[in-house]
Amino acid sequence: MRRFLFLMGILALLAPAFGATPSTGGRVVHEDALTRKELSIARTLRCTVCQNESVADSKAGIARDMRVLIRQQLRAGKSRKQIVAYFVSRYGDYILLKPRFDTVGAVVWILPLFLLAVLALSGWFVIRRHSRATEPPPPLLTEEDLARVRAARQQD
Amino acid sequence: MSPNGLSLNLIELGHFAAILAFVLACVQGLTPIAARVLRRPELASLTGNLAVAVFVLTSIGGATIIYSFLTNNFSVLVVASHSNTHLPLFYKVAALWGGHRGSLFLWIWVLTLFTMVLAFDGQSRYPERLPVILAVQGWLLAGFYGLSLFLSNPFMRLFPVPAQGADLNPLLQDPGMVMHPPMLYMGYVGFSVPFAFAMAALITRWKSELWIGIIRRWALIAWGFLTLGIVLGAWWSYYVLGWGGYWAWDPVENASFMPWLVGTALIHSITVQERRRMLHTWNIFLVITTFSLSLLGTFLVRSGVLSSVHAFTVDPGQGSYILIFMTVVLTVSFGIFLVRGRYQEAEETVTSPLSRESLFVWNNVVFTAAAGCVLLGTLYPLAINALNGSRITVGPPYFDLVMMPIFFIMLLLMAVGPLVPWRKANLIRLRARVVIPVIMGLVAGVLMAVLAWPVYWTGPVAIGLVGFVFGTLVVDLARAVLQRRLQHASENVAASVWRTVMGNRRHYGGMIVHFGILMIAVGVVGTGLFRLEKSVVMAPGDVVKIGNERLRFDGVRTFKKANYVALQGRLTSLDHGFVLRPERRDYGRQQMPTTNASVNSDPLRDVYAVIGGAVPGKNGVVRYVVQVYINPLVEFLWLGGLTMIFGLGVTLSHRVRHGARAVAAEAVSAYAK
Repeated sequence: MRRFLFLMGILALLAPAFGATPSTGGRVVHEDALTRKELSIARTLRCTVCQNESVADSKAGIARDMRVLIRQQLRAGKSRKQIVAYFVSRYGDYILLKPRFDTVGAVVWILPLFLLAVLALSGWFVIRRHSRATEPPPPLLTEEDLARVRAARQQD
Repeated sequence: MSPNGLSLNLIELGHFAAILAFVLACVQGLTPIAARVLRRPELASLTGNLAVAVFVLTSIGGATIIYSFLTNNFSVLVVASHSNTHLPLFYKVAALWGGHRGSLFLWIWVLTLFTMVLAFDGQSRYPERLPVILAVQGWLLAGFYGLSLFLSNPFMRLFPVPAQGADLNPLLQDPGMVMHPPMLYMGYVGFSVPFAFAMAALITRWKSELWIGIIRRWALIAWGFLTLGIVLGAWWSYYVLGWGGYWAWDPVENASFMPWLVGTALIHSITVQERRRMLHTWNIFLVITTFSLSLLGTFLVRSGVLSSVHAFTVDPGQGSYILIFMTVVLTVSFGIFLVRGRYQEAEETVTSPLSRESLFVWNNVVFTAAAGCVLLGTLYPLAINALNGSRITVGPPYFDLVMMPIFFIMLLLMAVGPLVPWRKANLIRLRARVVIPVIMGLVAGVLMAVLAWPVYWTGPVAIGLVGFVFGTLVVDLARAVLQRRLQHASENVAASVWRTVMGNRRHYGGMIVHFGILMIAVGVVGTGLFRLEKSVVMAPGDVVKIGNERLRFDGVRTFKKANYVALQGRLTSLDHGFVLRPERRDYGRQQMPTTNASVNSDPLRDVYAVIGGAVPGKNGVVRYVVQVYINPLVEFLWLGGLTMIFGLGVTLSHRVRHGARAVAAEAVSAYAK
């Protein structure tokens, strides 16, 4: 009896494993080791014929070819930097989705900070200037206004 | 040309109606000027009737186009190029905005609708300024009608009549996409109303206390439509475009995001003006800027100057027309603003740097800066190309990096702002109010860092801020409910909460919107930092493991639908039993095939699958590229969007008696004189 209970216990423990695993019949496929690297590089490059899509996202033929090219270079043992440099030498800075900090690209990196600084300064100025000014006396209603208010009250 | 031969060819009637509407819109713009020049003030009241007539005529035009779609009248160019006899009925109506001609007409149609609503709304509430407001709308209408009728005519005929039409862009054959453009247009066009008010106010020196409350509602409504449009667009690109993303910082997405950002600044800063009678000039500036950015959005989509997934192919004539139109609108409106902008001075002042109003100023600073950054990133490549011919790309990695700190500041302000009282905060009391939320934020951030370790630093920071904001929302509500229960001790808690919220809908509606934004922030963090993806080549029977999900590829089948041929793969989850059926659809007729992702959603994660091309393998077994993703917390994005719209509804349901407000406002303005 004890042994039977023990067996049942074991079976009960194993039951979820039996139940949850229908016969799969298939081998488990793994992602190619290079795919992650390939996609992460492809994500920083622009698909040249597409409407603003990265090489990783695009379904255009050229994007597929570029991914194959990235993979070949990865197989050849090239580093991320070298591969990106290769594409830049072929297509120019245009291919980089994140502009570089050089004479042309620096503007987009510096201007946001500049903009934020200018706006923050003017915000500060607005608050300071206003808080230095004295408050006006509380509004006084004229006789005419009071009549209007009374009229409105009567309407309600 | 319908198959049964009974179709009446009504399109020319519609064309005639549209031309008449264009002429009347010009008259609508001229009438108040004529009234002034001829010294016949009674003429000005014609504008209301004209607004109604323009709407009715435009509707006739729109109805004949839709009728032509429904009856397959391929002698109409837009029908022949965006519809065919196989297109389902639903999409035949939606095909109206499937191309640039039709979508521009829809823009105009919405504008005429809003103008007519204004005409009725204003009759009793602001009759003396209404003609000027309607005239501004009339000029905008005339400008857009001119573009439509002369350069992008939806009534254009096509002879010889083709027997069959081309297809609607397959990407647009989706319910999300059907609703996305009209919602965006309602948003863009809605901001024309505050714009018309601001122009009329500048021209006639209209005390802003008399109209700011009116444009607040319009701005909120427009903002709501814009929000809905953006969320629907994100939803559509996530489920239909099939690359697992919902926001790509595409120029056209940016074009809708910029007016949203400035519009958000506007709806906050209007409150400051209502409550504290300051920032008059700044608000007018924001109104003009918001509408200008809406116009810019329309320009960017239509002109083809930017490459974008949304760009229609159009002839350069339209681009120049819109550029000139936009230049005129900007020059005139900012010109008037510069001359007249300070017609009304602030009547009150910021009493303390630590007050609700000064935090609203910071809100405005941050939102304007955000819009500026997006504008810069979107237009800089164009500008630099025009200046020295160099071509650079400013893409998603740039925007992610630059906008992230700005979003953090927004969250921080969102946490502190609602806690700080108007005029002047008592520092000790404020500190007491902030303690619990700060602790909640710290706990949330630390928990996130510990549980999800190793995680990129933005995750804990964002979640910490979300916890902080959530804490302030809870504390704010709890304080009010406790206050109420002091007086109504017999009520149960739920009733107290309900009555507190309903008693101050304007405030709590806003807080619900903030809560929706928190949900979106959680969704963005979840999908941004914890997304898993695998791209594998699978033969039938193969299993792929992603996260704790094992998916078995069961093979593919092909089938035909009315308007496409599909290749459908089947993946079965071995752990949860659900089935995914990603498709590739071929719509024929030189259209790019589309990938239709298949998604299994639960509140915490989406399992998302896309099927790619076939790879011939050994022994004749065809294998397929399969991409599987686990996107955590995506549902939070859509729920957050819905929550925002719900909160906006709550805010808008708060109605002020017009009479009472007008009297109070007049009293105020009388004092100001």
